[in-house]
Amino acid sequence: MSEFHDDYPSYEHMALHSEEEGKTVRRKLWRVFWIMLAITIFELVIGSLAPGQGWSGTTWLKVLFIALTLLKAGYIVIEFMHLGHEVKFFKYVILLPYMIFMSYGIFIILDEGVYSGEPINRTKIDPILIQQQEQLKAGHGHHAPAAGENAAEHHEEAHH
Amino acid sequence: MSHSTEINSKEAWGGGQSPFRVSYGKMMMWFFLVSDALTFGGLLVSYGFIRHKYADVWPKAENVFTHFPFIEQHLPLAYVGLMTFILIMSSVTMVLAVEAGHRNDKKKVITWMFWTIVGGATFVGSQAWEWFHFIHGTAEGALRHVWDMETGTYVEKVVHGANMTVNEYGVPQFANYFFFITGFHGFHVFSGVCINLIIFLNVLKGTYERRGHYEMIEKVGLYWHFVDLVWVFVFTFFYLL
Repeated sequence: MSEFHDDYPSYEHMALHSEEEGKTVRRKLWRVFWIMLAITIFELVIGSLAPGQGWSGTTWLKVLFIALTLLKAGYIVIEFMHLGHEVKFFKYVILLPYMIFMSYGIFIILDEGVYSGEPINRTKIDPILIQQQEQLKAGHGHHAPAAGENAAEHHEEAHH
Repeated sequence: MSHSTEINSKEAWGGGQSPFRVSYGKMMMWFFLVSDALTFGGLLVSYGFIRHKYADVWPKAENVFTHFPFIEQHLPLAYVGLMTFILIMSSVTMVLAVEAGHRNDKKKVITWMFWTIVGGATFVGSQAWEWFHFIHGTAEGALRHVWDMETGTYVEKVVHGANMTVNEYGVPQFANYFFFITGFHGFHVFSGVCINLIIFLNVLKGTYERRGHYEMIEKVGLYWHFVDLVWVFVFTFFYLL
C-alpha cells in the first residue's frame, strides 16, 4: 500500500456505464422531465384560475402549491442530482442538517411572523397603499387614483 | 450502477476508501451546495417572515408580473412560467450531458452542454427583462407618500415601478426581497453559465477524454441542478403563493 494512498478506488470510473444502461437511464430522465413539466403547467393553470375564484389564497391552495413544489424538488434532488443513487449514509449527511435547520425556519415564519404582524409591532405603512390594497381586494383592479383626489382626506395620516 | 452498492459499515471507516463511495470533488460540491442551500433557505425564511408580518398589504404576484415580450396583453405569470420551463429544460439537457459523460460520448456531451448554456443564458436574459419592467412599472403608476428632500416632509406623488424605497405595486419590502432573492439567484445562474462555458471549452479541447472520465460534467451538473432547485422554490413562494 502506497504511503500517499494513491490506490484509492477510482470512483470517477465506477460511475461509467454501458450504451445499454444509458438507454434505460435516458428513458427514466425524460419521464421525470414530463412529470415536472406537467406539474409546472398544472400550477400555472391553477394559479391563473385562482384570482377569480373564492378559493384564491386559501390555506389549502397554498398547501397544494407547496406540496407540488416539494414533489418537484424531490425529483430534482433524487433523479437529476443522483442523490437517490448514493449510499444511505451520504443521503443523511446531505439532507438531515438541512431539514433540521429549515424546520426551525418554518417554525419562525409561522409563529413569530404572525404575532409580529400586529399593528403595534410594525412600521407604519403608507395609508394610500392600504386603501389601494382594499380597493384591489374589492375588485377595482390595479389603477392609480387621480392625483389629489384622496389628498385632503389622508393628509393628516401621512408619515411624519 | 456499481457505485451505488452498499458497503460494510464496519470496514468503511478503516481508510483506503471513501465511506460515501463518491470522489472527493463530488462530495465537496455537495457540501458546498448544502451551505449555499442554507443561505437561500435563510433568505426565503426571512421573506416568509416579513410576508406574514405584512400579510394584509402584501401585493399579489399576478397583479405585478403581467407582461410578456412582444405581446401587448395582460398575461399574468405567463412569462415567469416560460422562464421556469426554460430552466427545467436546461436542467434536463444538463443531466443528459452527465449521462453522455458516463458513456464517454464526447459528441453528445458537447451537444447537451451547448443547449444547457443556451438555456441558462436565456433565463438570465429573461430575468433582466423582468427586472426592467418591474423597475419601470406601468404607465398609470400609483399614488404614494414620498419623502421630499427640499421641504423635509412626505408629499403625495405618482410613482412608477419599484425601487428600494418606493414600490408602485405594494409595500417596499416586496421589491426589496424581490431584488435581493431573485438577484442572488440570478447571479448564481450567471456564474453557473460561466462555469458551464469553461467546462464546455474543456470538453471541446478533449481534456476529459484524455482523463478517461467526465466527472467534471457531473460536478458542474450538480451546481446547475441546484440553481434549478432554488428557482423551483423562488417560483412558488414569490409568484404562486
